[in-house]
Amino acid sequence: MTEPIVYIDLGVGGMTCDDCVVHVTEALESVPGVESAAVDLATRSAVVTARPDVGASALAAAVRATGQYNAFERRRRAASGE
Amino acid sequence: MSDHVDFLILGSGSTAFAAAIRAADLGARVAMAERRTLGGTCANRGCLPSKNLIEAARIVREAAHPRYDGLIAGTVGVEFAALIAQKDDVVREYRAKKYASVADGLADLELLEGDATFVDPHTVRVGDRMVTGDRILVATGSRPTIPAIPGLADIPYLTSDLLDADEAGRLTELPASLAVLGGGYIAVELAQMFSRLGSRVTIVARSGLLSGYEPDLGRTLAEVFTDEGIEVLAGSRVDHVRGDASGVEVAIEQAGARRVVSAERLLVATGRTPNTDTLGLERAGVAVDADGFVTVNAQLRTSLPHVWAAGDVIGRQHRSQTATPVGARQGRIVADNAFADAGKAFDGTVIPRAIFTDPPIAVVGETEAEVRARHYPAVAATTPLMYVPRAGAVHKPTGLVKFIVSTVDERVLGVHVIGESAPEIIHEAAMAMHFKAGLPDFIDLIHVYPTMSEALKIGAQAFSRDVTKLSCCAE
Ligand SMILES: Cc1cc2nc3c(=O)[nH]c(=O)nc-3n(C[C@H](O)[C@H](O)[C@H](O)COP(=O)(O)OP(=O)(O)OC[C@H]3O[C@@H](n4cnc5c(N)ncnc54)[C@H](O)[C@@H]3O)c2cc1C
Repeated sequence: MTEPIVYIDLGVGGMTCDDCVVHVTEALESVPGVESAAVDLATRSAVVTARPDVGASALAAAVRATGQYNAFERRRRAASGE
Repeated sequence: MSDHVDFLILGSGSTAFAAAIRAADLGARVAMAERRTLGGTCANRGCLPSKNLIEAARIVREAAHPRYDGLIAGTVGVEFAALIAQKDDVVREYRAKKYASVADGLADLELLEGDATFVDPHTVRVGDRMVTGDRILVATGSRPTIPAIPGLADIPYLTSDLLDADEAGRLTELPASLAVLGGGYIAVELAQMFSRLGSRVTIVARSGLLSGYEPDLGRTLAEVFTDEGIEVLAGSRVDHVRGDASGVEVAIEQAGARRVVSAERLLVATGRTPNTDTLGLERAGVAVDADGFVTVNAQLRTSLPHVWAAGDVIGRQHRSQTATPVGARQGRIVADNAFADAGKAFDGTVIPRAIFTDPPIAVVGETEAEVRARHYPAVAATTPLMYVPRAGAVHKPTGLVKFIVSTVDERVLGVHVIGESAPEIIHEAAMAMHFKAGLPDFIDLIHVYPTMSEALKIGAQAFSRDVTKLSCCAE
């Protein structure tokens, strides 16, 4: 049985180019429990697919630890079916 | 644009803009609501237009009163309407450059025009639109206080809104005479400005000038004002006012005697009232204090965790001051706390502040009375500026510098200056206090000779030496 997952919408600040998108994606995907992260430069946001126990502060901390970017949680949505 | 944003800011002054810019950097989608003109008080009807006109008034005054023997007094005529028009151009250009185009340049910032009122903790009606914000900043500033004086509601009067470039309250004709109610910084700045431009000015103040500041400052200023022909009626209680468009009469009681001050126009400058009365804060559950200022903790959070307040609307809490750069700093702190969990507290210990009279005034830190009130061991010394070489060289000897210093560790607790260039030189004192410097640091530092900044060195030396006997460069 697969573990339940959630989509976590984040606002992301500080990105100016595609390299930034790569850095933020890597930072988010390094957080234990994160399955994937889709980061968008134009809308300055990300959608993280993760286990429900992944906290907003862990995601934000991973992005801020880059020293260049910021992230904050907007909301989380249950994956389809729920 | 959706009607939901990450950050909803009420107001568009310097506080709001600093918060918006920082929040946008941090990734937030921001909306800013404004019911008057974009840019708030400072740009439109505060700092900027007042400093513009005050400098013009200084030119008029200096032409008529050159300080040097051998310079012959002349006349710089005042074409008031044209003077106001150039001020309006300065304001509009500044507003376009520093506010409107900054707003245009921010990704995901929307400006909402209209009066903002809370509907519930997350929803604000702006005009006829409903907007929700995950986080909200109240940065609605302040407006002139209108005191409860019998008759005031029935007569025309001016407030500092007279400085506005575009609103109905603006002034375009120089009054032949002006009665000024109030003795605070706005009252004294505008009183001297009008006097120098040609109005006959009478100040009616409840206490002395600039109460709350070091008493020497207001006292010195009152002497200068009297010399310049401004009548200062300190310790006056206003009984009632009456009049019409052609003139006003202010009935006062001063030292037990009754008297009537007549003037063409009346300027009410008796303080500032926070813009919170129509915000519907009670519907959101945001607490205000007895005077209507929004209650905040040191991190500038209100009683509701997702609502912050900053700038003039929080008044003097946490040693804040109602000044533009203070609000801007607070706006930035709010954005950091709201979107980067920064947990930053506002620290109002070192806030330099100036009053742009002539001579100007600048202060940083505590007054002697404040230090005494908390029973902290300290000493104070006041030095007249006539001991500063530059003051004598350029015939600007009026003024003084006062230091208040801890006797525990010689740390400087407050510096208060009235005199030439005070608003510039105060930064040395502020920087010193920022780095927790002691009195000896002011003395150790070689100062440029001859500058008014030497006043700080000499003011510091006054604790240990007879400053009347210093040689060149205060060594
Ligand atoms: C004559 C004068 C001279 C001054 N000189 C100086 C100076 O030299 N140096 C200095 O540092 N400071 C000076 N100040 C003080 C300075 O202007 C203020 O401290 C500063 O403007 C406060 O900024 P703020 O953003 O907090 O509020 P504001 O600039 O007042 O902005 C608040 C905005 O919110 C809007 N608003 C209020 N309620 C609502 C509502 N319900 N819905 C929508 N919008 C709303 C208002 O219209 C306003 O535009 C001066 C002030 C005056 C009046």
